[in-house]
Amino acid sequence: MNPSSLRYLLREGFRNILHNPMMAIASVGVLVSCLLLTGGAYLAFANIEHTFEWLYSQNVVVAYARDDLTDTQLRVLEDKIKGITNIDKVEFVSRNDILKKFKDSLPKAVYEEMKGENNPFPGTFVITFKELDEFKDTVRQIEQIPEVEDIGYNENTAKALSRIRHGVLLVGGCIIFMLFLVSLFIIANTIKLTVYNRRLEISIMKSVGATNAFVRIPFIIEGIVLGIISALLSYGIVYFIYSVIFDLFGKGLMGGMLGFSSVWYIVIILFSGIGILTGLAGSAISMRKYLKDEGGISNVI
Amino acid sequence: MIEFKGVHKTYDNGIKALKDVNIYINKSEFVFIVGASGAGKSTFLKLMMREEMPSAGEIVVNGFKLSKLKRREIPYLRRTMGIVFQDFRLINSMTVFDNVAFAMRVIGCTESSIRKRVPYILGLVGLQNKARCYPKELSGGEQQRVGLARALVNNPSIIIADEPTGNIDPELSFEIVELLTEINRRGTTVLMVTHEHDLVRMFHHRVIEICEGCVVSDRCADKKRSKAPTREADAVDAAGIFPSVKEGGLL
Repeated sequence: MNPSSLRYLLREGFRNILHNPMMAIASVGVLVSCLLLTGGAYLAFANIEHTFEWLYSQNVVVAYARDDLTDTQLRVLEDKIKGITNIDKVEFVSRNDILKKFKDSLPKAVYEEMKGENNPFPGTFVITFKELDEFKDTVRQIEQIPEVEDIGYNENTAKALSRIRHGVLLVGGCIIFMLFLVSLFIIANTIKLTVYNRRLEISIMKSVGATNAFVRIPFIIEGIVLGIISALLSYGIVYFIYSVIFDLFGKGLMGGMLGFSSVWYIVIILFSGIGILTGLAGSAISMRKYLKDEGGISNVI
Repeated sequence: MIEFKGVHKTYDNGIKALKDVNIYINKSEFVFIVGASGAGKSTFLKLMMREEMPSAGEIVVNGFKLSKLKRREIPYLRRTMGIVFQDFRLINSMTVFDNVAFAMRVIGCTESSIRKRVPYILGLVGLQNKARCYPKELSGGEQQRVGLARALVNNPSIIIADEPTGNIDPELSFEIVELLTEINRRGTTVLMVTHEHDLVRMFHHRVIEICEGCVVSDRCADKKRSKAPTREADAVDAAGIFPSVKEGGLL
């Protein structure tokens, strides 16, 4: 294709949009809504993942020893824990040491009562892992040691986050899919309207021997441009809203919120990808009727 | 150049539009296709342009065997022909220049070739001074000449004119056919569909008559008479309709 043709096709693509401004605005509006929800869902996901990572980075697990263990048995247990491959460091905190930490917060009488045999706290091992990837396996190995009564880590928080993650995936996915279909429908109709308005030109193009690709390209450009405009608008809106939320809650949550600077390129790729694909699919759907039959010089009118 | 061998065309609704049509049209011939409405003239043209496929028979146009033509090859068949429509089919938002240039742009011609070729073709049809006008500012005859210029601009070897005089005044109809005759004299095959028998009688070209889907007569051109322009044509020519013809330019 020569540069003259390329310039011509690009100009025609933009001209199509200017000829139907209202439909173009409607298409962009719906696609922006779709992209905002997609972006929102993605950022929620990214933040949940970020929190997960933070939780895992707090790679300290506490193992509570059984009450009936003697000092010797406790040392044996410590060695057993140290023998697990992924263990970096094991620190023993005795029952008395734990109780001492509560000395100031407990009433003196209660504290005195808890001393000695009545101490409710178990002997505790504070364990640091080497590799986070093997977190679950290592926890399971510790749990399997008979002398270990229980093990403590942020399991509940992790479970709650996991539930949220699944919920966002399911509900967000459904809404995004529906909106995607609506966007596709509106973009296809916008382009169909352009095709209808330009049916005379299409019939002339076909009569003088323009290839289907040449007829189609301006409408594809129209679809892509609508997609790109929607992607850019959505990016701006998402950036603004995320910045406001970040300023309000960014530091307060577990591990803090994910900075926009670390996800901006994913948001751009996501938005441009969805926008361009929707535009392409919309133009393909709307042109199908007119180009399915190579004839149609007279039928188009 | 154009050959129909035992061509039948039956539409999906059962209408038999053409029945056993056998026609051979040589290079550089001028042929009138005549017949009443519904006789099968439009089907004949649609088959030639590969807008429709025959139900039986073989069609060869400019060396393209239409039954074996792949869909992607159809545009290249159409580039060998120029089509003139009864309703002109000009784009009102474009100037005369752009309407003609449009046909070149959509087959990928460069802007520099368009700038050279379009004024030349507009000169050929006598519209060199109307390049910047819009179609609505022109008379019916002038609009049809723009249509003709658009059909000619890509230098086709066949011009198909589908009732080109159907929407213009009778006195201007003569002018259009004379213009087509002049184009034919320069080597382009011309097929003109019409039902205006008076006009056909004024020119002495080959006439194929289609009636109820069959070729009922095929009268050869009166070569002696068809070569000699009529008195009216002389007058039109003298008025400068074909300036470029006089300059001896090629299509």
